[in-house]
Amino acid sequence: MDATLTSRGNWQSILGRYPFVPALIILIMLLVFNGMAEPNSLSFRSVNGLFKTYMALMFLAVAQTLVVSAADVDLSLGAILSLVNVTVVTTIGVFGDGPLAIVAACLVGVFVGFLCGLLNGFVVAGLNLQPIVATFATGVLFTGIALWVLPVAGMPVPSAYWRLYGGSVLGIPFIYYILAGLGLAIFLISRTTLMVKILAVGDDQQGAFQSGLPVTRIRISAYAYCGVFSAFAALCITGDTASGDPLVGNAMTLYSIAAVVLGGTALSGGKATLLGAAIGALTIGLINSLVFFVGTPSEWQNLVQGMSILVALMLGIFVSRRVEQ
Amino acid sequence: MSSSTAQFLTKARSHITNLSPNPLIVALCLIAGLLVVGEFLSPGFASLPQILRLLVVASILGIVAAGQNLVILGGREGIDLSVGGIVSLSAIIAGNVMSGADIGILPAIIACLAIGGFIGFLNGVGVTFLGIPPLVMTLGMLGVLQGLLVVVRQGIPSGLAAPALSSFVASPLLFGVPGIIWLWLMIGLLMALLLHRTVLGYRIYAIGANENAAKMAGVPVRVVRISLFMMSGMFSAIAGMCILGYSGSSFANVGDQYMLASIIAVVLGGTPLAGGKGGYTGTMTGAVLLVVLQSILTTLNIDEAGRQIAFGGTLLLLMVFYGRGQSLRI
Amino acid sequence: MSKLRLRSVSKRYGATVALEYGDLDLEAGEVHVLMGANGSGKSTLSKIIAGSVRPDSGIIELDGKAISITNPQAAREFGVAIFYQELSLAAHRTVAENICLSQLPSTAGVFLDRQKMIEIAERRIAPFLDVVGDGFSVNTQVGQLRADQRQLVEIMKTFAQDADILIFDEPTSALDRAQVECFLNLLREQKAAGRCIVFISHRRDEIFDIGDRITIIRDGRTVSTKVLSETNIDEVLIAMVGEGEAVAEQQSQSLPQRTEIGEIKLVVEDITNDSLQEVGFQVSAGEILGLGGLHGHGQSAILRTIFGVLDLGTGQIFLDGAAKDLNSPRAAIRNGIAYISGDRRRDGIITDRSILENVVPVYALKKHLIAASPNTLGKKARMALELLQSKYESLAHSIGSMSGGNQQKVVVARWLMDAPDILLLDDPTKGIDMATKKELFNLIRELAAQGMAIILYSSEDAELLENADRILVLNNGKIVRELKGSERTRYNLYHAAYEAA
Repeated sequence: MDATLTSRGNWQSILGRYPFVPALIILIMLLVFNGMAEPNSLSFRSVNGLFKTYMALMFLAVAQTLVVSAADVDLSLGAILSLVNVTVVTTIGVFGDGPLAIVAACLVGVFVGFLCGLLNGFVVAGLNLQPIVATFATGVLFTGIALWVLPVAGMPVPSAYWRLYGGSVLGIPFIYYILAGLGLAIFLISRTTLMVKILAVGDDQQGAFQSGLPVTRIRISAYAYCGVFSAFAALCITGDTASGDPLVGNAMTLYSIAAVVLGGTALSGGKATLLGAAIGALTIGLINSLVFFVGTPSEWQNLVQGMSILVALMLGIFVSRRVEQ
Repeated sequence: MSSSTAQFLTKARSHITNLSPNPLIVALCLIAGLLVVGEFLSPGFASLPQILRLLVVASILGIVAAGQNLVILGGREGIDLSVGGIVSLSAIIAGNVMSGADIGILPAIIACLAIGGFIGFLNGVGVTFLGIPPLVMTLGMLGVLQGLLVVVRQGIPSGLAAPALSSFVASPLLFGVPGIIWLWLMIGLLMALLLHRTVLGYRIYAIGANENAAKMAGVPVRVVRISLFMMSGMFSAIAGMCILGYSGSSFANVGDQYMLASIIAVVLGGTPLAGGKGGYTGTMTGAVLLVVLQSILTTLNIDEAGRQIAFGGTLLLLMVFYGRGQSLRI
Repeated sequence: MSKLRLRSVSKRYGATVALEYGDLDLEAGEVHVLMGANGSGKSTLSKIIAGSVRPDSGIIELDGKAISITNPQAAREFGVAIFYQELSLAAHRTVAENICLSQLPSTAGVFLDRQKMIEIAERRIAPFLDVVGDGFSVNTQVGQLRADQRQLVEIMKTFAQDADILIFDEPTSALDRAQVECFLNLLREQKAAGRCIVFISHRRDEIFDIGDRITIIRDGRTVSTKVLSETNIDEVLIAMVGEGEAVAEQQSQSLPQRTEIGEIKLVVEDITNDSLQEVGFQVSAGEILGLGGLHGHGQSAILRTIFGVLDLGTGQIFLDGAAKDLNSPRAAIRNGIAYISGDRRRDGIITDRSILENVVPVYALKKHLIAASPNTLGKKARMALELLQSKYESLAHSIGSMSGGNQQKVVVARWLMDAPDILLLDDPTKGIDMATKKELFNLIRELAAQGMAIILYSSEDAELLENADRILVLNNGKIVRELKGSERTRYNLYHAAYEAA
């Protein structure tokens, strides 16, 4: 064995265990670039702002990863996010805006997300439909329900809600408690037997079934958890935008997929990292802020963002592919 | 989930799997059924002029779906999410090149096909040579195109369709049928010839069914796959020009709605997303079915929310009928 | 009393009958061999017991009580574990996770108990520790293992379920001799512990070595059950192919006349790449060159390198005296090379497509065809298929409707539509029934007689010894010995293979 072979072997085992490493490297590079373009962009305040804006996408990316691990995909989670958003806002309107009412409304929202996920799981795994088209259809359904709950955007949430989301508790911005919560959730979920089973299903569904795993039940669980995390994302977006909007999440679905891939998860299933997904979501946020800070003219910003995300996607996949070979 | 639920699921599944009808026939029956229902709800829905109008709309979707169909047939999770962006871009470019004059039609066609083909080529190269999954590659490309559209719109006016193009799309050409429907039928015929009477067609199915075996049998896998993405880009470009002709001038993100609709049309037409089997005839009926369904929901005179709920629900129902995968226990 | 009894179990897929009539009695403490041609229903029968195929009719009795096995989980609860011929492994999971997959140890019923899982896995790996080879550990991802190592993991996974009834559907097809020996020893232990074992294999020495009784399946029907010590291979073969056909076959068994060996067609010089070291040899027209040695020591790599699948590395390939750059299968095909792999699912059949589409791609490439007319192509395809006496309903039928042996015939026909100069055979009869094997080798010898240069690798030594004019023995990617003329004996072959190992 010569040296290059063994070093590649090392990379291989590192990537095998921590598939999010390329994403992390891209993230750090982006941080450095951001700092070079505008030192202020790395200030405590700016970073808080970044987390505040992209926390929803981080949850959404984790949600997407759960189903992608099983080689499924969820094109409805943006719609779930919208539905939960309007449900929470409307429920607060019904319950009143006391702290208990807000907590109750959030719980209702999470439950709605869970139910949506369950429905997705049922149509994809239970009825055996192709995930891309089936969750597109349920997404249309959820959007319809969201429009029924709240036909036009704009119903505000009580100030206590968004003040907490944007404010501090015990001198630490509340957003970091959420971040810690997300981190803990990722840590715990990655260590469950369910996650191993989800990944085994994603690797080879027929093989997992023949090994005696309850494949249908496992896939439904993945979708249900996906729905719950989409609901968490909705709670974040509600805090960020401070209002209800039945279409707020639609554009986020495709971003969640991009974040998942940026994080080092394979869409073909079986190889996934929840932490990577969260990193991937942040990467998208940093790309957008970098494009802004280097002074791109406003009409060019979308194009440069689009191209940078495409390049980052290609780079991440290309690197991990090269290492694997 | 309790085991009794699981048992219920398996039972329900075995009941439904037993009737596995031909997607084409089911789609045709459904279209006929929907027309009858539509006529009942709003007299004149199934009249000839109205049906022709529906077919015009369906043909635009159908042309986008032709490219989508090819990419999906080629397998390896083939899918093209950038079609909507190409449609929008092509509409705006065509409008500017011809800017209301018939003489600009040919240059517009050439420009649009070249740009559509080039974007498809980039997609294909990313997928084959860099090994990026199609979903990711075309999703990223969609982001680029959306950004590009913002830039293009800032720089140039929205453009105007040439009169000849508008009349080709909207007014009768032959036997009272608009030219675009004839164009669509032609494309249908060409697709059938391509898929079943050429070596390229055999190769498309071969790489979709078993890429490795195809490679071992001398199929130039990468070239074929790139050509699929190029054809998809060109079909979207054609559709973009047709939309321009249909609406007179291009407007913002006119192509967005075609991204997922084209995939749904392909799936409703009996081509599984796994690729390697299926064909374009089914996709054509799938496109018509989708358009008729949307049109019925519009005539129903219910609000946006109700329309969406009904549309989503019906799509699910349709898929349960014949878009189902194989059960694990066979 | 029997441990497990199957009575008139059947299964059909649409028009195809996979299993027409399956009867089986399994005693505790026996190794029960299932034997039959490919597509005769062995795997279907096994999968019905394992719950992954739903039978259409029939009775299954466990310890005298009728049971219904609704899915693999239910089968596990009844004490059935199975080794799947196509393996049931998750490529991105570790060896340990795969071994324990169906019963992952957990704390609080939620979190994975990694420590315990690794303990369990290590206990199952222990018996194979000396034969698993390089790069194998509990934490290796299964996808990074060699084919034989993956097969061992599936074996360990099967044993890990501690089941009373163990089914092994061709567990040894990728294993080398030492690995097989290890496995058979474990089987003997299990047998002594009173477990009942179903064993499927095409290797006759294993069958007679380990088996107690044998049940023969022919065309989806279990035809007879015999005690192995009271029968012999001829009786078994006759039962497999049916009385009448066996007689006809024996008459046609005389070897075809061998013509003189012609000029040199292919020269390989000094290839060194990831799997080969300084490999060089030459093959002449009309010659069958055999590649021997332990499985996975570079035989397949040689063929895949010549065919342009693997990187040539250093070294050169000459065709008819001219140096050629064969960097892809396309280039190789254009230069008159054909490659037939025994792994037809991976390399051969174009899944779910018609027989016609499966036969014509190489011909279309060589003739630079653009249009594909089913009529003209069909005529040519039929001629090629007739050479092989393939059985098929029509060219428009899906290749999936054929048995394994017939599928392989279609793949062979693909290469004979426009005869190649050089034929590379990479274990071409793997997993194919004996009757078809015989037909294929008759054809191969005939092709050589017509002047084709042929390189043959077979995992069955008997096939090499019976067919090859010369045998190169490989070890670790290196040619260690050349056997010519009367040197071609089983002893010499084993000796050379094990010499350096």
